[in-house]
This record gives sequence, C-alpha cells and structure tokens, in this order.
Amino acid sequence: MILLESHSVIINDVLTDRFEKASRADIQFVDYDNVRFHLSTPESKTKLLLSMGIQCWPDLVKYGAREHLQKEYEGYLLPQEQTEPEYDVSLVVDLEQLPEGGEARSALISKLAHLKSTAMSSPFLSAFAEESSLQANYRDAGGAQQKDIAEQSETKGELKIVRYREEEAIYIQASNDRVTVVFSTVFKEETDKVFGRVFLQEFVDARKLNALQNAPQVRYSNREPPLEIRHLPGLHNGEDWGYVTFVLSPRHFANPSQAQQTINRIQLFRDYLHYHIKCSKAYMHSRMRYRVAEFLKILNRAKPEVAAEKKTASGRTFRTR
Amino acid sequence: MSRQAPLVIDNGTGYTKMGFAGNSEPSFVFPTVIATHQSASAGSSNTSGGSGARASPPIAGKPSHLASKRGIEDLDFFIGDEAVANSKTYSLHYPIRHGQIENWDHMERFWEQCIFKYLRAEPEDHYVLLTEPPLNPPENRENTAEIMFESFNVQGLYIAVQAVLALAASWTSSKVNERTLTGVVIDSGDGVTHTIPVAEGYVIGSSIKHIPIAGRDITYFVQQLLRDRGESAQIPPEDQLRVAEKIKEDYTYVCQDIVKEFKKYDADPYRYFARFAGEHSVTGRKYDLDVGYERFLAPEIFFNPEIYSSDFLTPLPEVVDTVIQTSPIDVRRGLYKNIVLSGGSTMFKDFGKRLQRDVKAIVDGRIAGSEERSGSHMKSSGVEVNVISHKRQRYAVWYGGSLMASTPEFYNVSHSRVDYEEYGPSLVRRFSVFGSAV
Amino acid sequence: MSNTLRPYLNAVRATLTAALTLENFSSQVVERHNKPEVEVATSPEVLLKPLIVSRNESERVLIEPSVNSIRLSISIKQADEIEKILCHKFTRFMMMRAEGFVILRRKPLPGYDISFLITNFHSESMLKHKLVDFIIQFMEDVDKEISEMKLSLNARARIVAESYLSTFA
Repeated sequence: MILLESHSVIINDVLTDRFEKASRADIQFVDYDNVRFHLSTPESKTKLLLSMGIQCWPDLVKYGAREHLQKEYEGYLLPQEQTEPEYDVSLVVDLEQLPEGGEARSALISKLAHLKSTAMSSPFLSAFAEESSLQANYRDAGGAQQKDIAEQSETKGELKIVRYREEEAIYIQASNDRVTVVFSTVFKEETDKVFGRVFLQEFVDARKLNALQNAPQVRYSNREPPLEIRHLPGLHNGEDWGYVTFVLSPRHFANPSQAQQTINRIQLFRDYLHYHIKCSKAYMHSRMRYRVAEFLKILNRAKPEVAAEKKTASGRTFRTR
Repeated sequence: MSRQAPLVIDNGTGYTKMGFAGNSEPSFVFPTVIATHQSASAGSSNTSGGSGARASPPIAGKPSHLASKRGIEDLDFFIGDEAVANSKTYSLHYPIRHGQIENWDHMERFWEQCIFKYLRAEPEDHYVLLTEPPLNPPENRENTAEIMFESFNVQGLYIAVQAVLALAASWTSSKVNERTLTGVVIDSGDGVTHTIPVAEGYVIGSSIKHIPIAGRDITYFVQQLLRDRGESAQIPPEDQLRVAEKIKEDYTYVCQDIVKEFKKYDADPYRYFARFAGEHSVTGRKYDLDVGYERFLAPEIFFNPEIYSSDFLTPLPEVVDTVIQTSPIDVRRGLYKNIVLSGGSTMFKDFGKRLQRDVKAIVDGRIAGSEERSGSHMKSSGVEVNVISHKRQRYAVWYGGSLMASTPEFYNVSHSRVDYEEYGPSLVRRFSVFGSAV
Repeated sequence: MSNTLRPYLNAVRATLTAALTLENFSSQVVERHNKPEVEVATSPEVLLKPLIVSRNESERVLIEPSVNSIRLSISIKQADEIEKILCHKFTRFMMMRAEGFVILRRKPLPGYDISFLITNFHSESMLKHKLVDFIIQFMEDVDKEISEMKLSLNARARIVAESYLSTFA
C-alpha cells in the first residue's frame, strides 16, 4: 500500500453489513487528524445515526462546511440543534428508505464513508471558487491596462487557516492564478525529523521530473515559515517543524471531480508523509534484523565446532578437528 | 482536548481482532496472515492494484512502474482477508505461531497496515493495548515495544496477558458480583484449548495445561458423523467442511446426559432431528439433510474425548481440576469459584452448565472421600464451583482489553513514550497489573 | 575499497591480534573473583597502555588491553545528520541484542559508537583469529550498511514523493 485511501473502512464495512440486514450498532472509532466517529442506533434498528467530531470544525464552519455538507448529504444531515452532543455533525440513514438498486446503495455507502474528506474539502472548494473570481477580475483589469502594484496585492484572497491537529495547521490562500496550500507539521522524534527532511526534499526534487510537470509545485522549508504565512502570529520556528507549500494551479481543479480528487489527496498529505516515515523505519528495522543476524553468523564462526565423534567401519571412534 | 480512544489489537495465532477501546465488539476480525510478493518481476500486480479497485482510477495505472523500482518492495503486501484473496499471486505467511510472534519483519508490516489501512489512526495520537500469550518470553515483549515506540511512535503501550483480559471480560456476566482477577480461564479457539490459572492478575505458569482439542477438531468430528450416517452424500464434496462448520455453529448444544439424549432422539426423531438446507456454492443446486445426533455429540468430545481421539483421553473437567489442584493451595478456592470461558469453541449452549456440574462432581467426590477417610470426624464446608459464561465470550480477550483500556487507570499502568525514552525497551519487562480498583 | 581503508583495517587487525594475549587472572582486590580488569580498573599494574588507531577525525578505534581482558571501542564514520541517526539506530539495535553477541558491550564508551569487551574466557573458548576477523568484518560492513541504508532511504523518499505527485494529473 503506497497511497492512503481517503474513505473510512469501518463506515464502509458496517454500512455494507447493515444495508443487508438491520441490527443494533454502537461503535466509536476514529480517523486521521483527530476525527472521531460514532455510529449508533439510538431509536430503532433501522435508523443509523452517524456522528462525526472533528477538531477543526470551528474553522471549517467559517468556510462553509455546514452548507457544503447540507448540499452533499441532502436528506441525511440532521440540523445543528439535533446533532449528537459532543459531536459536530450528525447524519441519519433510514434503512427502510434506502435507494433502490445495488449501485445506488454502494454509491451512498461510499459517499458516507467519505464524510471526513467531504467536510474537510469546504475550505479548499471556497478557495478554488475565490481563485476563479479573482482570475476573472484580473483579466478584466488586465484588459483595461490598469495593472499596478496596488492591484497586484489585491489579487490575493483570504488566508484560510484550518487547525486540523493540535499544533499543526493547513493554510490556504487563493490568488489570481493559483491556490497556495501550506502545511505545517511537527516531528516528535529525532529520527522522524531527519527522515522527514529527506522525504520533503525529495518531494521538491521529484517535481522537477518531466513526467511530473503537471503536479503542483512543491516547496518546503524548515525552521522558518514560508513567506505566505510569515506575518501570522504564533507560528513555530525550530528544528522540529516543517512547512510544505503546494501551489495548485487552475488545472488541478478544472472540473468538480478533479477538484475533489485533488482535495482528497492533499488533505491526507500529512498522514501520507508520516505513514511513510514510519514505514521507512519499519523497513530499516527489517534491514537491521537481517544485518545483525549476519554479524552473529560471522561471530559464531569463531566458536570452534563441537567435534563430533565419528565411527570407522570397524566401530572405533575418532574425532575430527 | 480529550484523549483519543486507545487502539486494542489482539493478535492471535489464527485471527487478529482489533478495534477501539470502549466498543463492545472488535471493528475488524481477520486472519493473522500477510501476503508478500517474493518475485522481483513487477508489473503484473502492482502495490495499489488491490486498493486501486476502490480508489480513484487514475492511480491504478501509474504506480506500476513505481512499484517496480527498487527500494519499495516492502510496501507491496496484503494482510487478512485481502491476503487470502491474493494468495494466487502472493505467498502467504503466518507471522504468529502458537501464540508467539515468530517473524518480526512480517509482524511489523502487518501492524503497519492494521493501523494505517484499517483503523486509520495516527499512532502518535493513541495509546495501544496489545495482547500476549501466557509465558511469552520477555525478549518478545521488548521487541514488540521497540517496534511500537520506535517505528510507530505510539503515545503509550500496554501489553496484557490474554488470559487476564478474558477474566476481566467475564465481569460483564450477571453472575459475577466481585471483580477479581483470580480464576481459571478456558480459552478455546480454532487450533488448541488452554486452561490457564490466574491469581490476582498473575498467570501461574507451571500449572497451565493444553488440550489438543478445539474448534477445528469439532468440525472434523461433525463431518465424520455426517459421513457415517450417510448424510454427506447430499453435500457436494467441496462444501463438506463448510457445511460441517455451519452445523457446528448453528445446531449443536451440550447435553447433560448422553444416554438419555440418545433415547430421546430415538423415541421421537421428528422432534429432535433438525433439517439443514444448503445451496451448492457453484451451481446453486439446493439440497437438504438431517442433522441428528451430532447436535449433541459434537461438543461432547470435550467431555468424552475418547469418542473422537485416541491420543488424548482426559476430559476437560478433569483437566480443569488438575490445573487447580497443581496451583498453590491458597488460591484454589478462588480458582474453583471463577472458571471463565473464552473463545469461539466455548460458545455451545449449556457448555458452562455441564462443565460446572462435572467439575463440581469431581470436587464433591474428593471431599466426600477425605471426609470418609477422616472417619467422618471432619466436615468440609464445601467448595464453591462456578463456571462463568457471558455474552462477550467469543471475543472475550479483545473485549477485556477494550474494557481495560477505557478505564482511566489504563493510562497509569501503560508505559508511556516518555518512560520509553528514558529506560528503553527493557521497560516492558516490568509487569504491571490492573488493580482491583477498576 | 578506498586506499586508506585497507591500511587502517590492517593496523587494527595487527594491534588487536597483538593485544589478544590474555590469561586467566584472579582479582587482586576481591578474593575468589575474576573480573575483566580493564573494566574494573582497580589494579593499575595489570592495565596496559591504551592505543588509538585513527583513520581520520571521525573514524577511530580505541584498544585498551589488560592482563585478562581487552576493550575495543569503535567510532563509526558519520558524514551527515542522516548517517548519524542511522548509525545511532543501528548500534542501539545491535546492543539491544547483546546477549547473542557474547563480546558486545551493552553500552559504548563515551565518545564512541560501539564497544566490545573480550575476556580471556572468550579468547579461550573461541578461535582468536576468527574473533579478529569478526571485528574487522564488522567495521567493514557497518560502514557499507549505513551508506546503503541512507541510499535506500533516499530512494524510498523519491518513490513516495513521485507516487504522491503523480496522482495530480
């Protein structure tokens, strides 16, 4: 498994099972980035309540997450006041009123399993929208030959901050020809820090390949936050911090499905990075196990072989040395 | 911000049970198996081939040339059901043998996918509860800790003994009014049955007994009985084992008296014989057969092993009694009082009742004998024998882990990341048990 | 093999072979005890002069002989941060498994990355020249292993980055 999947396997499995046959459920589980889920049947077996608690919800709401979910999960989303306590969003699926046909059902399951990524996509989507309007304005302005420095600075959209983990955040900013996404991430351990730096450097270098010219531009800096967000208060500087900047150009969100794909990919960037750092450590462990076993073999050569007694044909014994 | 639920992972020889603390059932149960790609010839099946089927299509094609690149072959593997499904192109490995981890390379990668693909948790944010068999060497604990802390950076780790967790799981039973960690655990899975005495959270290693009869044997026995009665002619050969398993799971129960049960069946076969309706897995042809004496004979092999096996002849109640009698004398009362069932093969109806009756008979017989030998001068106050069965028996170990890990005390007894950094892997040699304060 | 490595290893081999003349020697301080003198260091008269064989400022070997034991500490080449961390990981991993390596010390001497302690019991029960072979082989392979690990880390990072970026079409 190289890439992480963007849907929740548990939601997928449980719903597939419950759509076949209704039964009680009361399951709590999580997803990356401090997301908590609770799947339960509080009223009756056929009414599945799926609630999600997400750390950066206050941020997401600012960027229209609620409206976006309302649109995506029409008919399932519960109004704010009916949301399960301690959670941020609740959906109800009535197993007696499922869409007909296997395909429609699996589409619904997959949609519900993507609940987290859908919620997380609202700031990205609004940034994409901002970009297109800015672009349109910019063109108008350009046509009127009024491009001056004041205009230039105005072509930047609002800087959106999503504090998706305790200390780490995503910063999203639209401008007239691109959307900049900055991740801040922290490495808790010495090894992670070093490995992380290697990985991030490779992200920057890989972009230079011809085959990957279509990929977003990547920049990374450690110790100092990048220019886009340097003016923000409370940013961390230091060895343990890494800042990664992705520059998305309009072709990455040319149509809705492409935009959604880009969003699904990019919001998992931090987890992807940390997953691979961990896999590399596991790989190093395998290597070291092998090497240590080899060294042990060499050392054991120093131990003289236990001289086995051998018998001659006549039955006398002798030792070989 | 509130702490995230600890991960509870119970890696058994046959199946891995995992999920989040606080739930009553594991979220995932699948075989502890890993399928790795040995041959270097890449291209036919790439890493994301399996996941690509569900992920967005553009990914599926591209990584094939990437997967063939040197240096990332170790990510090309599947675990659990997916591993079994891919067994044609991959080779299967079972990293755990007899409850103990044999292949650390495979186990480390197994955990990798457990956490990242299935549980979808960032281990840096979670505590982890793992299980180990009784008498696990401390080196294995150290290796486990090394992997968990160094590769996965978990926040904290607790390695619990499976039998102790099974005891904790029995607290859900209404019969239990005292939450103790003293008792005998009868853990019967697919491959082997263990009887493990536990005193105040510590396993009495010298008294553990293994019984080579477990779920798989019962299935074979059912199959054999069906064949003997000529019922298996109805079943397509490739389905025989599956049908036997189904019958075992759905129709069997433990009787209280085998002779009476036979008579009952003979007197009124229509009432007691059950019908099993099956369908051919390939052609869809329907067939049905009678389920007869195997309904009560199947689990009977625990109590009268001679009907199935010729090597192992000691009935389970006797084994339980021996286990307790070889334990220190001051805990024996506690052990008799709390005999706990765990694992799928203890799920038969009335299994606990029968076991309790038989153990009680042995104990009472012994007491009567010694009273007599004392010339009826001494009177015993009797020994209480209790067999506890409960709703969570099937995944008792996992459930016990889930219970334990959802208590606030869990965080105190776990080894935290800070401790690990200070003491290193030898930290886990120190064994801390949950107090009775829970 | 680079041209300075061979003489370096040869020097270590010669010194070590010469130093491995150990005899059974009872402790002069505690009756009926037999301790590696180089470790307890209570009787200066049985300690010999320690010696450092050095290839460059980062790679060196310290050999401390005594009458019944010899301590050998190695400082491994660490060119950059990555090699440093890999070296640290590797030596730690190995020292965790010191039981198997009878001559491995569980902790390195300060300033060194890994230490071995060979006592007269080891040199009596094992073939001396093979012990020396092991040390030399270890020194050779550990450098190789660390640079290979570094390469594979870079290769992995590259693949990971490419796989991720290639999903943005």
